[in-house]
Amino acid sequence: MKKKLKKVLKDFWYGKPHGERRLGDLYIGNTGLYKHREWRGVKDTFYYFNKIWLYNYGGILMDIMRFGGPIIAVKGLLRYRWFGQTYLTALHWFDRGLEGMRGEVLRASAWHYRAMTCETIRQFMHMFRADTRLHGGKKNKWYYKTIMHDETVCGSVFYGYRDRMENIAMQLVPYFVTCHVNNHTVLHYIDAVQSIGLPGDPCPMCQAEAGLLVLDDVPDYSPVMITSNEACDASVATSVLHDWFLNKPLISMTQPMRFNDPLVHEYTMNEIKEAWKFIEEQMGEKPDFDVYVEYTEKYNELTKFEHEKWDVAANTPYYPINGVAQALYRIYYSQVGYREIWAKTDAKVKKILNKCVEQKINTFPMTRHRVLAWSCAPLYFSNWCTWAYNCWGLNVIMNMDSLMFDIVLRTDNEEDALFDLARYHEMAPMRRMAVGGHEHIFEIWENLERFNCDMVMMYDQLQCKGMQGIVGLFEDEFRERNIHAIWMPHALPDKRTVSRAEIRSIINDYMFTVMREEPLDPSLLDFDDIMSW
Amino acid sequence: MKFKKTLLKILGALALTYVGLFLVFFFDLDGKALFYFVEPMLDKHYSKLKRRDMLKQPYGMEDFPEYSYTEENRDIE
Amino acid sequence: MRDLKHLIFFDDLLQEANNELVRQAKKEGLRALGYTCYFMPEVLLDLPGCFSVRLRAPRCTSPDVATYYMSGRTCHYGRSLLERALEGGYNFLDAQMATETCTVTCRFQEHLQIMPIIENPDFFCEFTDVPFKKSENGREHYAKQLQAHVLDKLSEKFGIDTSDEAILKAIEQHNEVCRLVTEIGSYRKLDNPTITGHEFSTIMLVSLVCPKHLILPYLRETAEEMKKREPDKKPNWRVKVMVTGSENDDPGFIELIESCGALVVADRFCYGSLPGREEIEVKEGERPLEAVVRHYLDTGQCPRYMEQHEIRGRKQYLAELAKEYKVDGIIVESNKFCEYWSYERVANSLILPRDFNIPVCSIEKEYINTSVGQLRTRFQAFVESIELKKIQEGA
Repeated sequence: MKKKLKKVLKDFWYGKPHGERRLGDLYIGNTGLYKHREWRGVKDTFYYFNKIWLYNYGGILMDIMRFGGPIIAVKGLLRYRWFGQTYLTALHWFDRGLEGMRGEVLRASAWHYRAMTCETIRQFMHMFRADTRLHGGKKNKWYYKTIMHDETVCGSVFYGYRDRMENIAMQLVPYFVTCHVNNHTVLHYIDAVQSIGLPGDPCPMCQAEAGLLVLDDVPDYSPVMITSNEACDASVATSVLHDWFLNKPLISMTQPMRFNDPLVHEYTMNEIKEAWKFIEEQMGEKPDFDVYVEYTEKYNELTKFEHEKWDVAANTPYYPINGVAQALYRIYYSQVGYREIWAKTDAKVKKILNKCVEQKINTFPMTRHRVLAWSCAPLYFSNWCTWAYNCWGLNVIMNMDSLMFDIVLRTDNEEDALFDLARYHEMAPMRRMAVGGHEHIFEIWENLERFNCDMVMMYDQLQCKGMQGIVGLFEDEFRERNIHAIWMPHALPDKRTVSRAEIRSIINDYMFTVMREEPLDPSLLDFDDIMSW
Repeated sequence: MKFKKTLLKILGALALTYVGLFLVFFFDLDGKALFYFVEPMLDKHYSKLKRRDMLKQPYGMEDFPEYSYTEENRDIE
Repeated sequence: MRDLKHLIFFDDLLQEANNELVRQAKKEGLRALGYTCYFMPEVLLDLPGCFSVRLRAPRCTSPDVATYYMSGRTCHYGRSLLERALEGGYNFLDAQMATETCTVTCRFQEHLQIMPIIENPDFFCEFTDVPFKKSENGREHYAKQLQAHVLDKLSEKFGIDTSDEAILKAIEQHNEVCRLVTEIGSYRKLDNPTITGHEFSTIMLVSLVCPKHLILPYLRETAEEMKKREPDKKPNWRVKVMVTGSENDDPGFIELIESCGALVVADRFCYGSLPGREEIEVKEGERPLEAVVRHYLDTGQCPRYMEQHEIRGRKQYLAELAKEYKVDGIIVESNKFCEYWSYERVANSLILPRDFNIPVCSIEKEYINTSVGQLRTRFQAFVESIELKKIQEGA
């Protein structure tokens, strides 16, 4: 009895040890809701309540106030499905990604989520501020000072305008981020574009982007559109519908496919110049090199810190950021470009990182396997890494898309700056590995060594022709090199093709039959979350 | 005295609010409210919204010029 | 109509990539250069000393081994090419002049690079980057790429003469092929055409897959024959259609359409002649390579082009072709898993009827169509709908 009481008190104070948590028992039916949120011990539970839950709800309200105010936010909420249906549930997105996390990992990972939330709010509030649909059809000063561009056009291209203008990606907040936060929203857009005759097999990311326009759910916040051929055929093809449904001046800033061919860089540089020329003609503004330098140098600091993080992740067990926070934050900030929130977040995370390294805190003590995730991740199950660690001790150290945009940009003179900007844009997410030659996608082997990983999670995006076109060679290489690789089929944002439960089942099967291991938390093996956000 | 009473009342209210918020947090009442009430209500609202029929969007062949740049005019001065 | 003399021979030539004329050219010591895409200028692969072969995989209905390598969720065309390569069907190739213009054919060509599939010690696969615009920047880029990855490579590996004179010679030969094929194709514009779409498709394809110098005599004879060919007194077609869309190198598909009463008079698809058989004009003071670059970029109607006026211009081009060839309707086809044409087909299917009053039949197909019943029903229904429309408009 005394022993039992001691255990109960210990569990109350420190939280249950990993193997006893039974996190799966907390879910309500297939909703993904919790009977009650995790008790992580007194310290971490109250940290979560105060510094994550309350702080972020408060932060969301503060961000809405400072980026435009509640009136325009409510107008946007009532007008745009992607806003109202998705972003109100943001804190549950935190919950899913941070399940089971404790201590420094909880703290560091949560700051990344906070940063992404803040930036998302900044973007959609600016969209609403400039949106003619929310202003009775009127084009206000914000409209004329905002550049609309494809989400795969990297924000760094517009650094030279930052002192006077804003650039907001058309689909990043209305589509990409929504898939992670509430995967119900995107299904409407995919269905909409298929209802006008698009087959079901093209990349669902591009389908959803086009579907936003089909449903007239894109704010009208800019007089222009800058598209791109990033990342692939489908991105090129979608511009046909972008052009029609936006029906405004549109230029495509195209990048070469064979980006490692030294002959192509001048082409890319000229494409960037032409996009700037287009903006000058359409909006009367030129990029300022000094402003470009200012933001690029700030951004370079983010890249340098990223390299430090990779170094710690690769060579030590002290890396305090979980797989999902690492992946999402990296793709978000590198695609959007420098924002103050990223620098503030990195400063906070740096303190935590340094503490973990100095005090040798083993941040993922239940790690059984260090995993390298390769190819395009499932957006509706980006938190699979959290589940995988909690259930099986699979610690996702690095993922493919985090390794793109990996260049410190020169700023000493305009020619070199433009050259590096061109290179940077050529090495964008997905395409950095998936196009331009098979040698890029096979950088997996050197990265397995670099990050000391013993297992691969091979994302198998069923509708990605680039990756589907090379699956056999991967199979052959995995066999030949005797690498444990789990193929995770998915359809990017569309959970209906391969559900999260099916993905878990595939991983479970591999871990049981091939690895012959037992789960750390059996309650997480099999549960239904089909209706979960 | 009156100030002390008021202060105590405020602190008491704050404490109750804090506890209340903690209960909302711990029992995931925010999630439940959103899932069972807010999202279905908003979903209905969005489904009823009048939207433009985008298939009626014009497609003028001459509406947009060729944005053509050469070595002579591509550079920003 | 009287059968064309060489049609059966042409049909035989299309049964395999390493056909009689390819074998003959190899015996002559010429280098066989494979390619898949219009953006790989065939004229540069027809320089003296080599000949171009645009790759097909006829009769490949189940690319099983290729499906292991490229999964079942990629374009059947790309997989069929890999399957044929694995079967040894392309062992005659000395090089594959590749372009990264569409993902699946790119992956097919990467397999040729990585795996020892082509049993030819001289074999290499070289990629060329192709611009997405017809701009000056695009032309400069394309010229650099073709010089480095096609001309310099051919010169380095096979000692091919890539001088301006050699290119001019290749252009001359190419232009003769284009003239002849265009001349033969022009009979489709007649009120009562004297050539079927199937026949023309066969002729167009042999001009792509056979060495030019060996197919030319047959094309000349066919062009002469066409001058005297009389149409059937009672046409066996009910409507005239244009076919537009993604890659189609199967004359059987055209034959299927024509068996439903629709005469195919214009072929605006990949491996078709519109564009594809325009003569290359070398302007005054222009280097031949510049002329080639300008020609292939300017004539291209690939949905890969992203400039706004080009995107819209493609619909205008279809409408103009429809007028020129007096079509009653357009069949827009896309291969399953072809991403470019999935979107282009949506736009064509909605814009052409709405803005140009051209009836459209929008279909998805496989590379080699085995289940033709569904397609036949669609085409028959389309023909009937056009006839009904004509009656209603006449009334």
